[in-house]
Order: sequence, then C-alpha cells, then structure tokens
Amino acid sequence: MIKKILIVDDSPIARKMLKSCLPKDQGYEFTEAGDGREGFEKYKDLKPDVTFMDLTMPVMTGYEAIEAIMNHDKNAVIIVVTADVQMKAIKTVMESGAYMVLKKPLKREEIQSALLKVKDTLQKA
Amino acid sequence: MQEEKILSDEEIEILQEIMNISFGKSAADLADVIDTHVVLSVPFIKIMQVPDLPAYFKDHVKEYKTISIVEQKFWGRFKGDALLVFSSGAGRELINMLQHDESSGFESDPIDILERETLMEIGNILIGACVGKLAELLKDVVTYTPPMVVVEKNCSDAITEGQYDPNNTAIVLKTDFRFDEGDVSGFLFLITSHDSVTWMKEALRLFIEQYE
Repeated sequence: MIKKILIVDDSPIARKMLKSCLPKDQGYEFTEAGDGREGFEKYKDLKPDVTFMDLTMPVMTGYEAIEAIMNHDKNAVIIVVTADVQMKAIKTVMESGAYMVLKKPLKREEIQSALLKVKDTLQKA
Repeated sequence: MQEEKILSDEEIEILQEIMNISFGKSAADLADVIDTHVVLSVPFIKIMQVPDLPAYFKDHVKEYKTISIVEQKFWGRFKGDALLVFSSGAGRELINMLQHDESSGFESDPIDILERETLMEIGNILIGACVGKLAELLKDVVTYTPPMVVVEKNCSDAITEGQYDPNNTAIVLKTDFRFDEGDVSGFLFLITSHDSVTWMKEALRLFIEQYE
C-alpha cells in the first residue's frame, strides 16, 4: 500500500505538476523537498513509500541523493522524474537503485501506471 | 520597466521548468550524435533592460579567455535570439570527439573550416532541439535563420551595444552545460523581447492549466 509520498524537486512548479498528476482519492500524504539534501533528510524522518526524485538540483543533485537514500535504505522505492533523458543519466540512476525513470513533462497515465507497478511490487515483497 | 511587472514569480518558475525540459531534450539529442553525457545546470531566468545585456553577458563569460558563439534567430509567436556560447578551444575538442566516428571524413578539411562546421552542427542540434521543444510545450511553431558561427572571439565584444533595440526589455533564459568527456563547457542564452510577453503569459497559463 502506498500512503506516504516524498517529492524532491527544486522547482515548486514541477512539484505542483507532479502532485496534480496523482489521483486525489487515494489519501496520499505528500511531503516536499527542494533539493537532494533536504530530500535525504526528509526521507530519513518519514520513510516514505515512494520518493519522486528530480536529478538536476542545487545543493545536492538527485544522483547524490539517490545514492545516499539507497545506502540508508536498500528497499527505498525511488522514481526519477527528470528532463535529463540521456542514456547515461538513465543508466547511472538505475544502477544506483532507482525503481524507474519518468520523463518530464509528466503525463497522468504514466505516473498512475508507475504507481500501480509500485503497489504490485510492494505487495509481492 | 520593473521585472516583476513583466512576468510574475509563478510565470518565471513555469518558464524555468519549461526551459529545463527543453534543454534536457537538446542534451539527449546531442548525446545521440556524440558519445558523451552533457551535464546540465538548473536553468536561470533574468529579465533586464537591453542596454544592461552586454555587461551581463560579459560577466557570465569572464572565466573564458575567448569564446565561440553559435547564433540563431528564431521567430514564431515566441521570437528572439539564441546564443550558444562555448569555452575556448571547444571547437577543436568537439572535432576530436566526433572523429571517433569513422564516417566523419574530416581529415581532408582545414582545421578552421572543420571547427566552424562542427560548432555550427552542434549548435544547430542544441539550439534547434531546445527552442523547438520550448515552442512545442507552449503550443507554438518557430522557424530559424541559419546558424552563424563566430570562432574564438574576445569575450568583451561578444554582445555589443546597439545589437538589440535599446528601448526593449530582454528575457534571458540561461542554462550552463559541461561535457562529461573533453574540455567543453558553455552557456545557452535565449534572449527574447517583451514583444513576446503578452503571448508568453497566456501560453504559460495554458501550459500550467493542464496540471490544475
């Protein structure tokens, strides 16, 4: 079951766009962070079921934050949401343990199907 | 004119996110051509009076001894000038990177022509993909002038007074980039005037409306 969702993106608009793509009737609890370091700190406090992570961010990049989170919790479910869709970026984050990569701008159906996949994975775990 | 009056904070944030998506697209397109990863920065938007542009520009390229510039004008309802600025020596570095491709056939051409052509090609990809995606997200279609290349220019006279209408206001969208391999870095500046602002405000509103 997914209840707690952490959104890490330096752009408040990007966070708003992401939230708007998520179903409103599922009772999700959202927490937001504006850079990788804040995202990591909030991850440790909240232990969210799913983390949405941008890559290009100030202070601590998404790449660094994914590594930090995965070192802290190897079962973390991190969905990368990025405009950087170069093959190397995708390969790097998947090797770091990201669950999947979604390309910006987000589409509702993509994000909802990603969450269904996460639910399925969590149920099997 | 005060910058707050042209675009609101929210409009700037939306434009910044659109620029982020657009430059991501152009970096991916370039990575398909050159086997490298383009490291991107968080895009930055600055609104200023045109007479302040040369000093602003100079300040951003001051770390380079010389720069090479690929310039393309674009116009649709979104119109302006794209300046892709490369660090010193980037042209030759890019030639080396492209020569890994056996079909390049570069060997027979003089180096300065190769440098110019390489910068033009790379510039065309980066500018075209970025401006094209930006326009697409804002439901516009733009056309371009052919790219113009200036190789190893002195930073101090890259943008001159009088190059743009001094009574105009410039919206500068800037993204820094650096190649993972090879010593290549630079900036993409998109300079658009306040002629585009009325349309842009409405386009930004329609864009974000999809997410409300």
